[in-house]
Amino acid sequence: MTTHATADAAVPTDVPAVRVRGLVKRYGAVTACDGIDIDLRPGEIHGVLGENGAGKSTLMKVLIGLVLPDQGRVEVRGRPVVIDDPQEAAELGIGMVHQHFSLVNELRVWENVVLGERRRLDAGAARRRVRTIAEHHGLDVDPDARVEDLTAGQRQRVEIVKCLRRDPEIVIFDEPTSVLTPQESEHLFRVLRVAVERDGRAVALVSHKLDEILRATDTVTILRRGRVVGSSLTDDTDARTLAQAMVGRPVSLRSEAGALGVVADPIDTERPPDAVPGGAPDAVSAGPAPALRVTGARSVRGDGKVVLDGIDLDVHAGEIVGVAGVEGNGQTELVEVLSSLRRLDAGTVEVDGRPVDTGRAGAMGAARVGVIPEDRHDAGCVLDLSVAQNLHLGRLAAGRPLGRLDHDRMRAAAERLIDEYDISCAGPDAPFRSLSGGNQQRAVLARELTADPLVLVASQPTHGLDVGAIEFMSERLRAAAASGVAVLLVSSELEEILHLSDRIVVMFAGRIVGEMRRDDADFERIGLLMAGAAA
Amino acid sequence: MDLINALGVLLSSEALYISAFQLGVLFVFAGAGEWVAERAGTLNISVEGMLLAGAFGAVLGYHLTGAIAVALITGCVGGFLVALVQAEMSHRLTANQFVVGLALNVLVLGLTAFLASEIGFGPARAGVVRIPLLVDIPLVGVALFGRPWPAYAVYLLVPFLWWLVFRTRWGLEVRSVGENPQSADVSGIPVNARRRQAILLTGLACGYGGAFFVLGQVGVFQFGMINGRGFIAIAAVIFGGWTLRGTVIGAVLFGVVEAMTIATSVKGYRVDPFILDAAPYVVALTVVMVFAARVRQPRALAQPFVRGLT
Amino acid sequence: MTTTGTEPGSDPDAVDDRRSDDRPPDDDAVLAAAQVSAATSLGGAPAGVKVRRSVDDRLVEVGLYVGSILLALLLSAGLVMAVGGSPTAVFSALLDGSVRSPGAWGLTITTMAPLLLVAGGTIVATRAGLVNIGQEGQVLVGAAFAAYLAVRLPGPGPVVLVAALVFAAVGGAVWAGIAAGMRAWRSVPEVLTTLLLTFVAFGLITYGLRQRWLIGDRDTSRQGRVNTGEQIPFDTRLPDLRIFGNAIDSGAIIALGVAALLAWMMARTFLGARIDVVGLNRRAAQRFGISEKPLSAMLLIGSGALAGVGGSVLLLGAASGDRMTIGFSGNFGWEGLLVALLARNRVLLAIPMAFVFAALRTGSSFLAATGVDRKMTDVVQALLVLALLLPPALMFIRDRRRAMAATGGGG
Repeated sequence: MTTHATADAAVPTDVPAVRVRGLVKRYGAVTACDGIDIDLRPGEIHGVLGENGAGKSTLMKVLIGLVLPDQGRVEVRGRPVVIDDPQEAAELGIGMVHQHFSLVNELRVWENVVLGERRRLDAGAARRRVRTIAEHHGLDVDPDARVEDLTAGQRQRVEIVKCLRRDPEIVIFDEPTSVLTPQESEHLFRVLRVAVERDGRAVALVSHKLDEILRATDTVTILRRGRVVGSSLTDDTDARTLAQAMVGRPVSLRSEAGALGVVADPIDTERPPDAVPGGAPDAVSAGPAPALRVTGARSVRGDGKVVLDGIDLDVHAGEIVGVAGVEGNGQTELVEVLSSLRRLDAGTVEVDGRPVDTGRAGAMGAARVGVIPEDRHDAGCVLDLSVAQNLHLGRLAAGRPLGRLDHDRMRAAAERLIDEYDISCAGPDAPFRSLSGGNQQRAVLARELTADPLVLVASQPTHGLDVGAIEFMSERLRAAAASGVAVLLVSSELEEILHLSDRIVVMFAGRIVGEMRRDDADFERIGLLMAGAAA
Repeated sequence: MDLINALGVLLSSEALYISAFQLGVLFVFAGAGEWVAERAGTLNISVEGMLLAGAFGAVLGYHLTGAIAVALITGCVGGFLVALVQAEMSHRLTANQFVVGLALNVLVLGLTAFLASEIGFGPARAGVVRIPLLVDIPLVGVALFGRPWPAYAVYLLVPFLWWLVFRTRWGLEVRSVGENPQSADVSGIPVNARRRQAILLTGLACGYGGAFFVLGQVGVFQFGMINGRGFIAIAAVIFGGWTLRGTVIGAVLFGVVEAMTIATSVKGYRVDPFILDAAPYVVALTVVMVFAARVRQPRALAQPFVRGLT
Repeated sequence: MTTTGTEPGSDPDAVDDRRSDDRPPDDDAVLAAAQVSAATSLGGAPAGVKVRRSVDDRLVEVGLYVGSILLALLLSAGLVMAVGGSPTAVFSALLDGSVRSPGAWGLTITTMAPLLLVAGGTIVATRAGLVNIGQEGQVLVGAAFAAYLAVRLPGPGPVVLVAALVFAAVGGAVWAGIAAGMRAWRSVPEVLTTLLLTFVAFGLITYGLRQRWLIGDRDTSRQGRVNTGEQIPFDTRLPDLRIFGNAIDSGAIIALGVAALLAWMMARTFLGARIDVVGLNRRAAQRFGISEKPLSAMLLIGSGALAGVGGSVLLLGAASGDRMTIGFSGNFGWEGLLVALLARNRVLLAIPMAFVFAALRTGSSFLAATGVDRKMTDVVQALLVLALLLPPALMFIRDRRRAMAATGGGG
């Protein structure tokens, strides 16, 4: 099954599997890739490091045929090529393991694996093939399982099998560890090693996390604003150099650890000066009733799966509690409960000592629970309304139905917030859709904070933002806690949790399986808890 | 007691089974066809227009050639043409699928009436083929095996569609675009092309169904002769919980219900025929009310797909 | 519009909306409807924000509209020629019948009234993401309710008239209410129930017309009274207004008044804003305290009520005969729906659209002289609808392509 890949392993490595020269891609006024050169070699894991918007994903989309470049040359095995659709990329031996959106939950594993092929459908052969590929790479996959029943880590294994079934010489991994526990990530890196060393593939590992680039790659290329700003053997570099190149200015690995994907050592952590611990853990435990108290929260999905299985959680005023865990272990549902989007089947939610009717429209908002949602397009905003209306969504629901809507006042209020939160947009009447992701997130933050919340739930608040925007968000969360807001931070990025939280709880399979103060937390222990191991 | 007696008389009448089967053929072709489109993610409400275009195409074909076989083909062409407009407009030009469907229903209704009045069709009826031995089964023999010959295609249609959707690559892709078009797209499947093809298949099936309805049941083209039966076919899909088996059972059930309303008036029970006209629709409403909340529909049903817009 | 069918604020089923979306399986997340619901509802363009376009784009858009309307007219003309008619004669006849001949435009405006009433209610419901396509049945039931009261209620004409209009609203509301209830409690898609109910209405109303104790004609002396209703007394009909020799039915005033009211409601009130939020993003609505189910139920019922009033205006006004008959609704419901769609869910745009449809209708009565069947106008209407779907769709694709080019497809 690895015929031509192994053959290529014999080819001297100075003929790159993929050579990109002078790649330019512009989107309107924005230049996403501005003359990028990169070589991917057989037998090598090549890290592509950069923050969001640095051009990583555009570069990869060019390679798998989702985007056509404006200028530049792409060579595969020394031959110039034009890759104009994913099928073409597959035929050239380029495969990608997607972070999201490539599996159909309702289908079985083997059906997903053969989806997109052209040959006749043969269930028996497909099942055998899935097993062969899985065994060869040390991946544990059941070809007859339904994808919807799998955990995030298992789904990724299916993704990998799906990518490898065509025996690609070049494999691109797009932020592969974001859905994995630290231990699963280690396992993944071993799989990558097998792929490059035994099968002689060229692997590109796209990431914004310094640690994993340092740990898993052989060479690294750093992108910033569409340009290559550094390229070297991984062994010849270190975290500080990489961070500086990636962000373009000297950075503190400590205060920006969360944003950079580095784990600050907890033993000698000194709190950054701006993190005023209004609720230092000691003050907290002595405090009055918690601002947010969740007791015995249980929720069962339509298909009978228990998504929340008896959650008990307190968040005190002035405290940041981090909820760690691999995606899909109930965090989304917990946030839905706190957004009035899900009714509990059992258990209660109390805010400031008063019970809240879960699942009733707007009840959480009325109890002064603010939410920065994981996917702001889901319930955080209305893309086709104006910025002003989006900044006043809570108030639209409150007025008398036939009361007159004062557009002028809304607009004036919106203008103040646009200034205060530095939201770049064409004005309060601009459609929300026209704002960039970072500015949409700022607007959401502005709305939630001006509602004077007692509790602020931030779910993956920095997902998809660049380092500057991440810092802005982190500062605001800290400031909110300092001013007495109880902050619940839900994130699958452990670095972010460790960086911001006063206290950490770990979720697994709808339960809280561990709780610790920041000072007692360490990467290894949380990682084991995230994987469901008893700690 | 009277009611039970009456029901007994109805159920022991061969005529009931005959008309139930005849209508069932229409509903199975329309329902199973619609089922394919819905599995691909289109809530296709132009079934009504497809059926009527099929009926019209069939009489036109018969009018021109005098051959039933040709009439069946032109019937399919009629349904196909409506499907083509629906598919191109809703899944290439991204126009709203409901609006297109509605407009097509109105268009076909007006166009067929207009053309039929201009041309003036005579009767068109397919011959009966009796399958030896089987036709002698008491009560249901004639209903199942003594029908106008185009009816027998229904015995091939259902296994064919099952094979097509569950055993072929095309079917796998159709199911994947109905459940998760984004993933299907990333996997290299032309989402909107599959959806269009599914609608075209629906058009062919409905065209045949409409053709059979005029050639095997009514015998002459009438204005608006489908009269909402296309929507009952949609109800059959919902009743069947988007499974093929359930859809076929639903289609047969609706055939029986409508046959009973016909048989009731034939047998001379004193029920106003117009209130009986409403009966199949009332049954359909009741059935969807009971079943709609219990079944899982294709996740992307009625969601248009545009790459990058989620 | 006061009965919502659910207790606001304590809706136990609020957590079980089974609409599909592309999120992970979480069927009982409250209102798991996708935020692209606006795209799946009947509305073409998002209602909340007007897309600002450059002058060039405007020109392109206008050009597309002109082009596709021409295409529809050319197809229609081809059809007329195919059956041996003369397109110019047909066009001229249509113009004569709708505006040129004496009293014609008054009749056209009169005919516009029920269409506009139906369209107005439909637009508001559609803005909330609902797909009510059962207006034909709602019109019929409304008319039947009005017919019952108009001949049965003793009292002075104007009082009976008002009572009949209100009763018609109740009728339409009840009919749409069945669909609203099934949607709220059983999550049955209203696109199917409203349609099926239309066919139930056909059967029931015909039955009613055959029963003297319902709406059948009690005058046993009249010839050919089978399957028709009783004549509406003259003093319970909607009075005419005389303007420049044209008789305009006062139903038109009602319709225009309702349209103005709805336009104000959508643009200037909290309710209007909430309707848009629900239509554009149900989950955001739920989170920010707008209960989707009661609101949707209310809007569905409200749009049924307006269709019902449309039916009564049709019955009590001068747009059709003076009594109920089988098939009385005469496609006014379907056409009202099409008007709403073509107005792209803007209430004020529905007024000219309704006028055009009314003109095709009044104009078609002059077609007989040209030897072309009246059904031709149905064909023209449907072709116009399909044609008018093209420009926004093409502009959408164009905008999409540009947006993709500007953002790299969202990643």
